[in-house]
Amino acid sequence: MSRAELLSPEGLRIDGRRPAELRKITSTTCVLSQADGSAYLEHGNTKVLAAVYGPREARHRALVLHDRAILNVELNVAPFSTGERRRRSKNDKRLLEMASFVKQTFEPVVIATLYPRSQIDIYLQVIQHDGGTLQACINATTMALIDAGIAMTDYVCACTAGWVEREAAIDLNYIEESSDTSEVTIAMLPKSSKITLTQMESRLHVDKLEEVFRLAGEGCKQMYEVMDKTIRDRAEDLARKMAV
Amino acid sequence: MPSLISPAERDYILKGIDCNIRADGRQRPDYREVILETGVISQTSGSARIRLAGGTDVLVSVKADIGPVLVDPETGEGADKGQIICNVECAPSASQQFEGRGADELNNELTQMMTRFLSHNTTSLSTSSTSSTPASNSNGAGGINLIPKTEVQDLGDGNFDFEVLDDAEDTEVVEGREDMPICVTLNKIGARHIVDASPLEELCTEAKLVVAVNRSGELCGLQKGQDGGIEPSLLLEMIQFGKTLGQTLIKQLDAKIKAEADADMIKRQNGQPVVKLGFFAQ
Repeated sequence: MSRAELLSPEGLRIDGRRPAELRKITSTTCVLSQADGSAYLEHGNTKVLAAVYGPREARHRALVLHDRAILNVELNVAPFSTGERRRRSKNDKRLLEMASFVKQTFEPVVIATLYPRSQIDIYLQVIQHDGGTLQACINATTMALIDAGIAMTDYVCACTAGWVEREAAIDLNYIEESSDTSEVTIAMLPKSSKITLTQMESRLHVDKLEEVFRLAGEGCKQMYEVMDKTIRDRAEDLARKMAV
Repeated sequence: MPSLISPAERDYILKGIDCNIRADGRQRPDYREVILETGVISQTSGSARIRLAGGTDVLVSVKADIGPVLVDPETGEGADKGQIICNVECAPSASQQFEGRGADELNNELTQMMTRFLSHNTTSLSTSSTSSTPASNSNGAGGINLIPKTEVQDLGDGNFDFEVLDDAEDTEVVEGREDMPICVTLNKIGARHIVDASPLEELCTEAKLVVAVNRSGELCGLQKGQDGGIEPSLLLEMIQFGKTLGQTLIKQLDAKIKAEADADMIKRQNGQPVVKLGFFAQ
């Protein structure tokens, strides 16, 4: 397969980053007035909007659990989000899989027993896609859940890492992701360093795995700092407004 | 988004509209404050986010692609024209009722309406062998007020031998965008009609009329919605009203877009980066 050089002789990546450098992350919460909690997150050119509704009465009686809340995740990708316009159906297997990853990631973290017989809805909208959609979705969901005031044991921070040509690199963009690079996405609870999700695509030599994991873990910690700052700034802003 | 309304609330809204005063202090022909920003999504040929104060929030993107066109096999017509493909999606993040398959009906209705309004009124909208493909994504949170943000199309130029210039600077604004129609939705409540209905007002609506007009005041499309009827005399009045309002709206939006473009231009000339707020705008 012919492909562009992903790593320059100086060791810089295709977008000029160093291997262990994240893209610029910008985020904000409380972007939608209708939702109980919402967040908007940009990882470079990847843009995701998350909305959380609930805990509220479950839509389907059959699904109700008597001792805890159920999580419901729906993921939508805008037709214009990718380079080539393509409309994905709601039942696209890839999207359903991603939604299920997000659900599995958050099930152990959300303290669902506090909200018995109810449902928490998480709606994700990918507005622009430039690699690392899953990590962006998970990070946006964390912030939206916090914004909604839903009890969680910790933040969930996700980061991808992969083996790009001869080095491990984090936060792969679309070009790196699509040129047969092995890619690992992990989601981590930054305080206890526990991992709630690992997902790998393509193959990777087992000797390289540890290095990739270590980098992804470091990436998660950096993500945590950025997300925590946004949340704290927002809370401070609210507190200030309430004091007046 | 409410789905039920009490008789008292309905009465309040009805009588208010009769006296030309609405719950949020507007008069019958008043719009909510319109917030508009263009160029919010960098991967598209053109994009806009439009918000009506505290209510509807719509994100529109236009993508221009090289693709097959419909050519009449007998006359050979249409070879020099592009085609417009519309797609409207109501995201579940906007309202609970759009969850799962809940938005399908509305999506379909709006997509079809957009296609009809846009593709039959834009015969001059054609660049050789380039077909424009608008995709819109509507987060209809409050009243459904479709304003096709078609004024902001920026198409990359493509010439005959499929050589698309890969230069962000070397683009031209698509021809014929001045003829694009704009939609005004009129809601008939009691014997009167209003524009830009709030969610509660929408629940009292007997009949809804969507009027599409272009800059020169030509009627480009009409669609009646909801179950009530409209008297012929009132219908004519509503169309006339929609036409005048639509033309004013086009002027106002033009001014907004121009002001934004000018501000961006000044920033570029001074070497400052042009920062789009997008979803960071509060």
